[in-house]
Amino acid sequence: MKNKYQQRLIWISVLALIWQLTALSGTFSKMIFPGLDQIFMALIESFKDGTLIKQIAFSLSIIIQGLSLATAAALILALTAYFSKNAAGLIDTLTALAHPLPGIALMPLILIWFGSGRTAILIVIIHSVLWPLILNLSTGFNSIPDIYTLIAKNYRLNKLEFMFKILIPASLPYFISGLKIAWARSWRALISAEMLFGAINSLGGLGWYIFQKRVFFDLPGVFAGIIVIIVIGVTVEDFIFKKLEAKTVKKWGMLK
Amino acid sequence: MRSYLELKNIDKSFATKKDSKTALKNINLQIKKNEFLTILGPSGCGKSTLLKIIAGFSRADKGQLLKNKKQIKGPGLDRIMLFQDFEQLFPWQKVIDNVAFAVKAVAKNEKQKLNNAQIKEKALKYLSEVKLENYQNYYPHQLSGGMKQRVALARTLAAEGEIMLMDEPFGSVDSQTRQELQQLLVQLWQEEERTIIFVTHDIREAVFLSERIVLMKNEPGEILEVVKNKIPRPRNRSSGEFNLLFERLQSQLKN
Repeated sequence: MKNKYQQRLIWISVLALIWQLTALSGTFSKMIFPGLDQIFMALIESFKDGTLIKQIAFSLSIIIQGLSLATAAALILALTAYFSKNAAGLIDTLTALAHPLPGIALMPLILIWFGSGRTAILIVIIHSVLWPLILNLSTGFNSIPDIYTLIAKNYRLNKLEFMFKILIPASLPYFISGLKIAWARSWRALISAEMLFGAINSLGGLGWYIFQKRVFFDLPGVFAGIIVIIVIGVTVEDFIFKKLEAKTVKKWGMLK
Repeated sequence: MRSYLELKNIDKSFATKKDSKTALKNINLQIKKNEFLTILGPSGCGKSTLLKIIAGFSRADKGQLLKNKKQIKGPGLDRIMLFQDFEQLFPWQKVIDNVAFAVKAVAKNEKQKLNNAQIKEKALKYLSEVKLENYQNYYPHQLSGGMKQRVALARTLAAEGEIMLMDEPFGSVDSQTRQELQQLLVQLWQEEERTIIFVTHDIREAVFLSERIVLMKNEPGEILEVVKNKIPRPRNRSSGEFNLLFERLQSQLKN
């Protein structure tokens, strides 16, 4: 584990060095290929004047809201599908139709129906994560051992108890891997959606931040935004989800 | 003999692609309260199916299942099943919580209000009966197969059902552990008032454990004979009478 991060650190340093040397060599104009020093100055300045912090807060608040709503909806739909065959048919059909559809393709429609702004971004996020989450949850629910349903009958659990005491914990490995997919997809969807219809009072999230910097041809600013996006993405994937797994499915021996 | 649990003319068949296969044919059996009964037969004789019908997991095509002369339908906490599969424990719960699961289920079913301390105390009592109180905070994946089955046994005991149904519960552990578990089960049965119906294909296991042995044959699954086992306890696996009964059962199963 440590070794992996050490290796990463070494390679990042090497790549950064190559980058800086290329920038210093003057092969490309500083306007289109800024040095790391410029990028870091832009990063620090944006943090100092508070704009970047506000954009990060905006992006994170939207994605947390979107993920929570989508997770709640996915849980309700997947549970309904588990208990009712008719509902399962409908939900399966909807998922099959909607899952392959990229969120970007819906944007013109969302723009007309909901206008631009927070609601529009939220809808894109929910669309991008709801379907893969339903798929994962349903797979998880349907692959719990038969013995659990017999035990539930034997100990006379009602549906609600069965759901919370057995069904959901037993399918937690699938749930968490679904959340990982959901996070990765929603983070991508968020950035592109913000670029298209972010700004309300100049507050439009990280996607909007990059977009704006491009308009002013501020490439160090663009790179600063990209670095922040990478850092947040890696942090969530490598730390938050790893920790969640370590505290649950790994500890329980449900994940090797 | 006062019968407690009664099976009357039970038939059960399963549909296959072309026709149907008779799994059980005309099963009649009377079980006494607090007796230790084994159902012994080759694989495919329908002994597990019979146990599932008693548990209420599966329905007989014909016939009746009576307890104290009253017909029973569906599963219940009075007939708790112990399975062979190690998977029967919940991996996300500590050993103690796996046992407490049964305590809570019973309390709810009997509309008792137990606080957490009472639940834990009760769970711990059953855990110490299977001698695993020192492992209460372990997770199931940290235990050996034999220990897992002991936890499952503690959970079954904690349900405090009158009848315990056991579907080859020691079938997946090594023979040394298996003998220890058999010993433990007999001891528990002698201490507590429980009726045990134990399915096995292991003749020695049946001879060691039970008071009566129901011999079954396959195709179709029928009862051959019900054999009384009067060998005094503690039973010695290498004694003459033990081997005599073993050989008798073996030759009967061969025919």
